[in-house]
Amino acid sequence: MILSDEREDSVYYHYSPSYKYSLGIELVDEKQHTKNHANLRYTYLLDRKNTQYSQRNLYFQSSLSTGGNDEISYGFLGDWETRRYFIGFGAEELNSSMRDYSKQFIQIGFAPYLGNYGDLHSWLMVKSKRDSLTDEWNSYPVIKFFKGDYLLEFGIDENNEPDLHFMIRF
Amino acid sequence: MRYLLFSILFVPALALAEDKMHSDHSHHGAHHSHEGHLHTQLVDGTDMQMDVERFDKFVADQSGNQIVIASVTGMVCDFCARGIEKTFKKDTDFQKIDVDLANGKVLIAYAASTKIVNKDIERKILSNGQTVTDIQILKAP
Repeated sequence: MILSDEREDSVYYHYSPSYKYSLGIELVDEKQHTKNHANLRYTYLLDRKNTQYSQRNLYFQSSLSTGGNDEISYGFLGDWETRRYFIGFGAEELNSSMRDYSKQFIQIGFAPYLGNYGDLHSWLMVKSKRDSLTDEWNSYPVIKFFKGDYLLEFGIDENNEPDLHFMIRF
Repeated sequence: MRYLLFSILFVPALALAEDKMHSDHSHHGAHHSHEGHLHTQLVDGTDMQMDVERFDKFVADQSGNQIVIASVTGMVCDFCARGIEKTFKKDTDFQKIDVDLANGKVLIAYAASTKIVNKDIERKILSNGQTVTDIQILKAP
């Protein structure tokens, strides 16, 4: 998975031995400090509710940085989705010897059409994110496409900074 | 800038939506007639509750093979369901797989001689995070 926002660019490789958890390594390029580091990440599925028309998930996520500042993070991710609607949220606490801060986001969206398996699927979304360093909510439209093993999510926030997620399922 | 970009991306999505609605309408009409379809009911008399045209297309080249119809919950997203296909493709007895997202069905074709173990199918689908609620096995005509 490739992520890019106003603070960092990153490439994240993860492996899921089971659907319950995944282990990964995230290579991060910090834009403000012009330095690179790696995060070891662990995600655990706390709860999942499957129904015929929906799925609800709650995950615990954590990371440990190799950047030398003893940075750790932990938090929760949640979502509820049907084929038509999506609601997601995340909250993360980041602690290091340099600073402590938190990040939150919420995201809602809908699919303008319902594609079949193998079709191009499109989602129109709105994302709001905040971190405690700026203490401001930043809301912006996001568009998501996926087809086959490829997923692209893209938005530009209120500061004209891109928010990009690109994912390949191996 | 970001609203302009969003608009540029939004228009093709709506165009796709319109195409899809036309496609759905034409399919809906054909679905009512059932003319030429191989099956509309399972062997136990229950309604198949799936896209019949998709099923017919799936079994068209599977004559004599066994067709598993697994009812699955939590299968709301194409990208998430990809893992199911990848899991079954590791199975040497496996012939073919398809997913009916609208009706929550996974179709799996096996050779006529394969001994199908329902628990194994349930386990494979659960390993991807979805839940099997029912399994029906048919023989393709």
